[in-house]
Amino acid sequence: MKNRAIIRMAVMAAVLLVALSAGSAWAQAPVTIDFWGGWTGPDRGVMENLVNQYQGQNPGVKVNLFTVQWTPLFDRFLTSFRSGDVPDVLAMHWQDIATFASKNLLQPVANDVAAAGLKADQFAQTAWNGTFWNGTQYAFPLDLAMHGVFVNLDMFKAAGLDPSKLPTTGAELVSAATKLTIDQNGKHPGDSGFDATKVKQWGFGINSNHHAFYYFYALLAQQGTSFLDPAGTKVAVDTGKAERAWQWIQDLVYKHKVVPTGQTNAFQDWVTGRVAMAVDGPWQLPAVQSAPFAWSTTTFPNVFGKAAAWGSGHILTLPVKNDPAKRQAAIKFTTWLLNNSAGWGTSGNIPAKLSARQAQEFKALPGRTAFIDSLPFVVALPDIPKTNQVFSAAGPSPIVVAAQNVILKGEPVAQALKQLIDGANQILATP
Amino acid sequence: MTETAASSTRRTRQRGGSSRWYGAAAPWVFLAPFLTAFILFRLGPVIAGFVISLTRWSIVGSPTWVGLANYRAMLRDPLFHTALLNTLFFVLLTVPAMVALSLGLALLVNVPLAPRIFTRTSVFLPYVVMAAVVGVIWNWMLDSNFGLVNYGLMLVGLGPYRWLTDFSLAMPAVAGVTIWWTVGFNMIIYLAGLQEVPRELEEAAMIDGAGSLAVLRHVTLPILTPTTFVVLMLTTINAVQVFDQIYVMTGGGPGTATLTLVQYLYYQAFQSYNLGYGSAVAYFVFVLLAVFGIIQLRVVRQQAAS
Repeated sequence: MKNRAIIRMAVMAAVLLVALSAGSAWAQAPVTIDFWGGWTGPDRGVMENLVNQYQGQNPGVKVNLFTVQWTPLFDRFLTSFRSGDVPDVLAMHWQDIATFASKNLLQPVANDVAAAGLKADQFAQTAWNGTFWNGTQYAFPLDLAMHGVFVNLDMFKAAGLDPSKLPTTGAELVSAATKLTIDQNGKHPGDSGFDATKVKQWGFGINSNHHAFYYFYALLAQQGTSFLDPAGTKVAVDTGKAERAWQWIQDLVYKHKVVPTGQTNAFQDWVTGRVAMAVDGPWQLPAVQSAPFAWSTTTFPNVFGKAAAWGSGHILTLPVKNDPAKRQAAIKFTTWLLNNSAGWGTSGNIPAKLSARQAQEFKALPGRTAFIDSLPFVVALPDIPKTNQVFSAAGPSPIVVAAQNVILKGEPVAQALKQLIDGANQILATP
Repeated sequence: MTETAASSTRRTRQRGGSSRWYGAAAPWVFLAPFLTAFILFRLGPVIAGFVISLTRWSIVGSPTWVGLANYRAMLRDPLFHTALLNTLFFVLLTVPAMVALSLGLALLVNVPLAPRIFTRTSVFLPYVVMAAVVGVIWNWMLDSNFGLVNYGLMLVGLGPYRWLTDFSLAMPAVAGVTIWWTVGFNMIIYLAGLQEVPRELEEAAMIDGAGSLAVLRHVTLPILTPTTFVVLMLTTINAVQVFDQIYVMTGGGPGTATLTLVQYLYYQAFQSYNLGYGSAVAYFVFVLLAVFGIIQLRVVRQQAAS
């Protein structure tokens, strides 16, 4: 009997020992977080560095960063719900939330955001607002970006312009661009004998893709009108104001002749010294650091009296997934990213968190001032479940077709606007 | 003795039965690996695609059965009409040019001259370049303001032309790039066909007094008819399915000037998440190709018969 009791105790002790050691092994096994984002430019390297930094500080956590362009990323995200390979953290833009939240693919995170000590007053207001859809918070705000104007200061000085007074209004911009546009005979638009087919330096550059619609969208906001009705169910734009907005953009090419006809990549033309000024976003800043000329940035032009510039931002969402341990790890990682987003500023994106923008590491980066100055008047696209169709960056979405009809075809703006409104309304009316 | 003979016959029958069975099963055993992959990755998706085309489905959630509604919507959709017309325009621009040019090049590089390897390689080389690389390089070359092509033309007093941003020039420009990129592949097929032309027939025709053109017309080309059919079919299929170079070079623009059926299919299925509608467009492309194939087959058969 005694022997049996001893054996029983020994067995129990052995089982306990094994269980404890296994438990300790489990506790030490790294938690793996699948983190997906659409960063495929220089921003990818910056995010990789941040992820490595986090892993260095948290040896128990492994973060698998997966990046591919946004459209295939979202295709993969949707199919991941069939394959069971759902990421733990998914980056997207403000205007993408509705597309996925309306399909019940994202978890509400208001409680987690609050529990992490993150509050609205710590962030740029538009960035914070961009994490909500239908009154529910679905994301953590990482950064924001908006349109501004890149200026070649060497060309500016050579044209006799004052580089300390960069244009901020529509009239100032057209005036400067006219002086900066020079044909092979040294003539400017408006001069007698100016030859628009033999221009050696253009004053201004604009894109003719979806970003051209964003210019238009900002110009609507400058006139106090919006594109869709408040419910986002149909186009409700003031057509007179909308025509004025398109007309201002079209005139840059055909009336003022300060933008090259048929231009497709304004920033590329600017960075290679073919245009003196170009509209683009801060995501281009990493490519400017090594520019062989003096440069600066100014705000998107105020054409109609009220400042407004299109903007958007990256947010971090938690897709629906039944794994509480990974969810907690994902929240901890996401919070860390936000609190350490000053380093993310080197990617060009403006950190959403005020403390990150105030960090010396971020302040030392050049060319950010104009974009930071734009923060109070950033206007975002409406966040509706059909954003990916109405405001798609891919042709033949109605916004791309309209922009190209106005800028590349020189179509009457009323006609292009009608086609835009009909195309958008047709998508919105389809179940 | 009788019993022994009967059992022997039975064994022979059994052996015969087994060997017949093995004989019948053997091809299937050898085909099994291919058939498995074919059913899983080809036939299965084709059937599934047709079923999806009868539904409304955005990848997530359950599909809703809508019958032929996607096909009816397609017939009323102005963008689909534009994509169809653009695709036919692209076929018209590329297919005849590709067949004629590849035949001409094959005849040229078939002439036994010293730099034959160099000319064959230089014509075929673009074909091995990836579509994305071709698109990016030609985007730079054809840039309306700073491209190399316009620079060259302006030196001789022509242009500048907005190759990829002019609504009427964009499709011909993309077609030109496509011809440059893929003509080498057709040339190789023709070159293989030319090796099959009996030399004695050409020599006999020449002895009878036929000139080079007459030999080409009455001897070489008729013998090349099956090759021409293959080239025509492959070129037509590739032209109807054109996607990569347009996606990279113009994205279907400017406006909808280069929007083709497969580009529209991709936009609907993978950018707008209308998988049902996108599948319906895919099936239309399939029918279109079948129609082209049947017409071409009949024409070639009639020519062969005459």
